[in-house]
Amino acid sequence: MTASQIVVKNLCKTYRVPEREAGVGAALKSLMHRVYRDVEAVRDVSFEIARGEFVGFIGPNGAGKTTTLKVLSGLLHPTAGEVRVLGFTPWERRHDYLRRISMVLGNKSQMLWDIPPLDSFNVLGDIYHVPPAEFKRTLDELVALLDMEELLTKPVRNFSLGERMKCELVAGLLHRPDVLFLDEPTLGLDVSMQARLRRFFAEYNRRSGVTVILTSHYMADVTALCPRVILIHHGQLLYDGALQGLAEKLAPFKLIRLALSGANGQAALPPEADVVEQENGHLTLRVPRATTPTITAHLLNTLPVVDLSVEDPPIEAVIDQIYQEGKVEV
Amino acid sequence: MDYLKLIKRFIVIAFQDVLAYRMNFWISLLYSVLNLGTGVLGIVVLFSQVETLRGWTLASTLALLGVYLTLGALRGLFIGPSLEALAGMDGEVWTGQFDFTLLRPVDVQFLASFRHWRPLALLDLLLALGVLGTGMAQMGQTLTPGRVLAFVVGMAAGLLILYAILLAFSALVFWSPGFLFTWLFNALLQMARYPVGLYPGWLRLVLTWIVPVGVMTTIPAQALSGDLPTGMLAGAVALALAFFAGATALFRTGLRRYASASS
Repeated sequence: MTASQIVVKNLCKTYRVPEREAGVGAALKSLMHRVYRDVEAVRDVSFEIARGEFVGFIGPNGAGKTTTLKVLSGLLHPTAGEVRVLGFTPWERRHDYLRRISMVLGNKSQMLWDIPPLDSFNVLGDIYHVPPAEFKRTLDELVALLDMEELLTKPVRNFSLGERMKCELVAGLLHRPDVLFLDEPTLGLDVSMQARLRRFFAEYNRRSGVTVILTSHYMADVTALCPRVILIHHGQLLYDGALQGLAEKLAPFKLIRLALSGANGQAALPPEADVVEQENGHLTLRVPRATTPTITAHLLNTLPVVDLSVEDPPIEAVIDQIYQEGKVEV
Repeated sequence: MDYLKLIKRFIVIAFQDVLAYRMNFWISLLYSVLNLGTGVLGIVVLFSQVETLRGWTLASTLALLGVYLTLGALRGLFIGPSLEALAGMDGEVWTGQFDFTLLRPVDVQFLASFRHWRPLALLDLLLALGVLGTGMAQMGQTLTPGRVLAFVVGMAAGLLILYAILLAFSALVFWSPGFLFTWLFNALLQMARYPVGLYPGWLRLVLTWIVPVGVMTTIPAQALSGDLPTGMLAGAVALALAFFAGATALFRTGLRRYASASS
């Protein structure tokens, strides 16, 4: 295995936030005496990422994903723990480090709004010391991949969200970073633009060998792009591994699909089985993983089964369950 | 030099930006002329009554106004727009847009101080230099190369002090991101329109050593007219360096507090 480019050990980040009750009285009181509360955004998270990997960073809102990315990119100092990216300590913000990373944020723009993108790109070229020939080559390549030739000379203010996102990506990749942090890059985009950007990310990762950490709430982004996912919730790491393994490891249940001949067999179902769907003699049951074999045998013995299959639940359902319940029984 | 190249790039961008809004040009021009007119008019009215005021003649007071306006124009040209973009409710620190400034492989203080330019302030600068030139022309023969050199040094010190004070006030944004602290300072800066010598003793001390807005304008003007007490120029330079060091330290301490905006 290649040496790890990103090493995170026991990372913790606690924010101190002012707290007050609603109302004018409480507001006035907080002027004189402010009460603070500690919020543990990230708790004891550890992982390593090798060069060229495409890792999905998932978790519900407020799980600590963006905080972790901000520590990795050097924007935040951690409260405790050790982080090395490309051999650097990110929050020292050495110029040699910053030149080799990039962060693209779906909800923030680094473009200048009143001038054409080409001018913003030129400024970035100077800031990152990109030699003119290399600048032109990279720009041409990115513009071709994103099919955005005609956008280069129009003011950004008039762009659609999707067009603006293309510009953000060019802006983020002009200096050919070795590590790329993508924070919700498809946020708010329509389905075909999402698919188009996904193809771009996959192709760019393949061509350049860049290491990517992607956060997204669209599971389609993650399933299409990330062979490996890291799941965090309430600031803690719940899962780190292949996407396929997530359901297997984290979902405490399986789905049994049944086709029955004739009668509705619901009366004969064991109490552990929840009916998820029922239509024309087809039943879908949710059963605890451990008891799946006994329940299956029981069903085959007691019901007029025509067809039966046992499956892992779809990834969206697993994620939804984890997000809602906040924990999983592994 | 990389930083000069970047500054040049920022200026070009600013010119493109300003050309997108033509009307702003004419409004800015009107504002500059009004600002200049009221300043000059006040001084001319005053000196139509008296010959000198505590040793200040019309010529030296005009020169001082010229220095005041020049510093104001330089502030409006880049220090102001860059630093003011940090603060306030739609400021970069509040919105988290400052993330992009921190991610650049360039000195953060340099980028925070130089990245936004307001080319229309060049009009102010031209008018200000006009007033300064008029004052100097009226001094005539008395201008020696030594005095001009002292003036340039005093002016540089004044600019550095102005920058340091604005940087220090802007750094407070890291403690309270919604508030535009430089407004506090603007009221004090108005006092630099007139020679510090005209103010009562205690205020003179405050304006010279505590919030040295007086030093910014009075010392360069006194350098021109030859009224500068010995040692004051060196004192101004030392003060400017001390203020710069202090403001830089405050800005860097503030930076460490920056927590970025949520998500």
